[in-house]
Amino acid sequence: MDKAMTVKTETTRDLVWPGLADPAHDSQRLFRQILGALSEPGTLTTLALPAPPQVAPSDALGAALWGVVLTLCDLETRVWIAADLDSPALREALTFHTGARITDDPASADFALLTHESFDPQTPFAVGSDTYPDRGTTLLVAVERLENDSNGADDADHGWRLSGPGIAESRVLDIGDGAGCRALMTRLAGNRASFPQGLDAIFGCGAQLAAIPRSTCITRTDSQEMN
Amino acid sequence: MDGYNFAYLDEQTKRMIRRALLKGVAIPGYQVPFGGREMPMPYGWGTGGVQLTASILGAYDILKVIDQGADDTTNAVSIRHFFQRVAGVETTTATTAADVIQTRHRIPETPLRSGQILVFQVPIPEPLRFIEPSEQETRLMHALEEYGVMHVKLYEDIARYGHIATTYAYPVKVDGRYVMDPSPIPKFDNPKLDGNPALMLFGAGREKRLYAIPPYTRVESLDFEDHPFEVQSWEHTCALCGSDHSYLDEVITDDKGGRMFVCSDTDYCQTRRGEVA
Ligand SMILES: [Zn+2]
Repeated sequence: MDKAMTVKTETTRDLVWPGLADPAHDSQRLFRQILGALSEPGTLTTLALPAPPQVAPSDALGAALWGVVLTLCDLETRVWIAADLDSPALREALTFHTGARITDDPASADFALLTHESFDPQTPFAVGSDTYPDRGTTLLVAVERLENDSNGADDADHGWRLSGPGIAESRVLDIGDGAGCRALMTRLAGNRASFPQGLDAIFGCGAQLAAIPRSTCITRTDSQEMN
Repeated sequence: MDGYNFAYLDEQTKRMIRRALLKGVAIPGYQVPFGGREMPMPYGWGTGGVQLTASILGAYDILKVIDQGADDTTNAVSIRHFFQRVAGVETTTATTAADVIQTRHRIPETPLRSGQILVFQVPIPEPLRFIEPSEQETRLMHALEEYGVMHVKLYEDIARYGHIATTYAYPVKVDGRYVMDPSPIPKFDNPKLDGNPALMLFGAGREKRLYAIPPYTRVESLDFEDHPFEVQSWEHTCALCGSDHSYLDEVITDDKGGRMFVCSDTDYCQTRRGEVA
């Protein structure tokens, strides 16, 4: 290989959105981690796959959430992308690797890609119907912080205490304390009142992943009111 | 194996079932419809469970398959061979060694641990079906938590027999919300559904429904204050291992009417005999 070719490959590699090297086995492995995260809300797991290119604005989408997209999306799914993550490169990669349709209508989205900063409680994501509550949007949220009681969230004065199915007693999850984080967790805490309708959320921070399904009870660790 | 996708199902089908499984886990006890595929075996052979297992199983998983508690029935053996062939997985009869356990009609006696997944084969997923044949109506009854009819049915048992006569597929309520059919396990196994550290997945092939109980989830068997839920008990102990706390099957030992009671869970019984010997 001549030198010019090598340089070109190096440059391109930084900008390439990676697919799964071994689709059948990689997606199985990643799915089991995602299944584990939703089955035991607030637990952390690290997804092993190449990270997407670190180019703004889509660089907030780390390896974990990109892995969720590659594992779960296909031509039968619709994906909504928040403005602060959106880029032609992301759209192109999503279409190329999964065949998923990108939608501007959050109510028709199976998956929504967003950041904790861009969460707006007014966005009308699908919450399912009372007879088909499963027909709702799963939020894939890029966060800047992801800790639970086993790695330091207990020290934070702004964590959230989770209980319910998948949790033996309770578990503390800290996704940060920005206005978007608070709005998001307040919205997710509202799931219990609307159950079985509701939003399921998967959080990604780099390669780390955690989830809060709609069945989870959420309270502030500092006991502030969540309304 | 050449000519097959890993674990038989194509990737598109697995993804669709996986998405449905995540919704099932998020809404414990709720029946999620899924676009199942035809499997190379008849419906009575647990195609729902087989499709779920095929969607979760990895090359490094160790699989156990039981039928009525036994690893060596025709049904269990054929499903085990199927996955050996199409996924090349290692199999085991030891409950403790398994990552994924597919089951028909029992929950193992050996307590399950965190990280294990139990996949149930379900013939009829809708617990209200015998009362209401219409899927539209039963969906509405679940939506409105209209479960009075289920209690009426159980109470009719009490009026007629003096006790609740339902002994298997005994209905449960999951996390205080959905009434769910636990599949035709004996009611003896119902208490094992409550707070179990393992993830429990249920697949119905004919009706193309799946549902889930996440680990550590509250699962109550329906009952009445004056007639609390009770499990079966036996005057006998297991003739092979002496267990006085496992589910026993009565087996005929000869043609002169000889009979004995033995554990239905063959791995449990053999493990106990090994420890005693
Ligand atoms: Zn025994």
